[in-house]
Amino acid sequence: MTTIRIRRVTAAFLLTALLVLSVIALSACGAGTGAASPSPSASPSAGPITVTDDSGAAVTLAQPATRIVSLAPANTEIAYAIGAGDKMVAGTSFDDYPEEAKSLPKIGDFANPSVEKIASFQPDLVLAAGGIQAGLRSKFEKLGVQVYVVDPTTYEGVMTSITELGQLAGTSEEAQQVVETMKQAQTEVQGKVGALDKATTFLEIYSKPLMTAGSGTFIDDMITSAGGQNIGAEAGSGFPSFSTEVLVQKDPVVYIADSGSMSEPGDIAKRAGFSELTAVKDGRVYVIADNLIARPGPRLAEGLQELAKMIHPEAYAQQ
Amino acid sequence: MTRLARTGVWPGILLAAGVFALCLVLALALGPASLSLGRLWQLVVAGPVQGDLDNAIFWQIRMPRVLVACLVGAALAVAGVILQDLFLNPLTDPYVTGVSSGAALGATIGIVLHWSNLPWVTVLALVGGLGTLTLVWMAARRRGRIDIFVLLLAGVTIAYLASAVVTVLMISANQDMHAIIYWLMGSFSGRGWADVEIALVTLPFMAVPLFFTAEMDILLQGEKRALELGVEVERTKRLLLVTAGVLTALAVSVSGIIGFVGLVVPHIVRLLVGPGHRALLPVSLLVGAAMMVVADLLSRMVISPNEIPVGVVTTFVGAPLFVYLLRRGRRA
Repeated sequence: MTTIRIRRVTAAFLLTALLVLSVIALSACGAGTGAASPSPSASPSAGPITVTDDSGAAVTLAQPATRIVSLAPANTEIAYAIGAGDKMVAGTSFDDYPEEAKSLPKIGDFANPSVEKIASFQPDLVLAAGGIQAGLRSKFEKLGVQVYVVDPTTYEGVMTSITELGQLAGTSEEAQQVVETMKQAQTEVQGKVGALDKATTFLEIYSKPLMTAGSGTFIDDMITSAGGQNIGAEAGSGFPSFSTEVLVQKDPVVYIADSGSMSEPGDIAKRAGFSELTAVKDGRVYVIADNLIARPGPRLAEGLQELAKMIHPEAYAQQ
Repeated sequence: MTRLARTGVWPGILLAAGVFALCLVLALALGPASLSLGRLWQLVVAGPVQGDLDNAIFWQIRMPRVLVACLVGAALAVAGVILQDLFLNPLTDPYVTGVSSGAALGATIGIVLHWSNLPWVTVLALVGGLGTLTLVWMAARRRGRIDIFVLLLAGVTIAYLASAVVTVLMISANQDMHAIIYWLMGSFSGRGWADVEIALVTLPFMAVPLFFTAEMDILLQGEKRALELGVEVERTKRLLLVTAGVLTALAVSVSGIIGFVGLVVPHIVRLLVGPGHRALLPVSLLVGAAMMVVADLLSRMVISPNEIPVGVVTTFVGAPLFVYLLRRGRRA
């Protein structure tokens, strides 16, 4: 009896060990192939680069990054926009812009990045998003990998992140061009809607339950820049839930649904009590592509212009 | 029971009805968009009309939401009574039959397929719930009899299975994860008259057990004893199980999974009026409705213009009340 049991235990142990070993071997293979693909272009640099990221931590690189892993679609977009696409060694399974990013090796999804998997690409710079991902820093520091957290709360903040990433990747000039484009969009929108009255705007992030973009988000900042008065800002920071009753009482002039909410203008008009909204009566219900306003990257310039056209179509009508 | 025999069940029912009516009026009168009493009276008299924001707030947003909360609360409480007494297990709630997990799976599929918000998610949730009920039923049927023990285990197992599938879908359709989580937490936010129509279907099903109060009282003594006393055990059991399943599926499909009401309301009411079903069922129905309406009122009001998930409120309100009544019940 006991010998049989011991044999079983031994067998189980051996099987487990075998499984663990094969996983290790597989991940090692992954690391091997990952290491072979990119071309390390050791560009000459003038000493170490130090910037402070959005989590307040100092990020120092002895020389510009050559192997970058992005943990968020927005970060991937920035890297490609500033001409650091050839230094990208891995991205997330949600990277869909630009087209080249889709063929990058994947570290998994946005919410559950695996430290082991990321380390297997032997990056020298990891571009994380805020929140849970910022907590990855301590793990990577032990491995000697620098983590730069992109977690801006304003349009300006996004431009700062892009500038700093340009420094870290050694592509400052191209990063500057991206920032210029974003500034131009900002100036153009300011010129068109800056003098107009603020239009009360509600931005729907999700419909059941109703959620909006609150204060301290770059969406709130952009709505304000686009000549809107964000109703959601009074509901608190981040992305708070919002009472339908209060929404109808505030009666926004413009209603914009983030495409991530899966709402269609027709559905919105049919919702309980919404038929009385000024925005619905005036046909001012819009859906905006969430990638243009929810990703802190270079395409926010487009998002800002889109928002301005939705909030103040009269400013764009003359042309 | 002796006390009831003397005074009858009506005082208890009338008292519960009074409490419920009071809660209903409060829930309709109060809300994050404050309306004065005079204005409210005007709105009530005017009925639903176009071209008035306050009117839309009262008739299109607040009224249907409160009604859905009533019906869901009542349905869950009645389903809770039925299942606790059939399973003879105080820990039973309407969700042990797996119906809610099946409904969650249906809703998740609807969300992942992006089949617009309403009515598909609701319909798929209902299909998922009733489908699970059928599956559990088939698993528990042996030689023309329903084995309660197998039914309970099959329900729990299928619930785990459905939850696992929901988790897989949640991970693979990452961008919908939030939508799925919010559905699972349960909410009455944005519920309109279309949801009221679905919830109203619960009414006839809530009436069914009221015709079987005597049989249910006897079933509390076990199936064998009930058989000896001439109860058609199989038929009664089947009817009640299906009723509880349908009630749960309907409730969950319009509101998501709201915990605690179905578990605790029957216990609270038993402590107040005793285990006799002639009082227990109608009073549970009314208390369930009242508790859900109050929970939803608090979820709308406390941190307005934000909302607290209603399931959190039901627990915060229900747990202390339950513990208090348990202690009081012990002493008596």
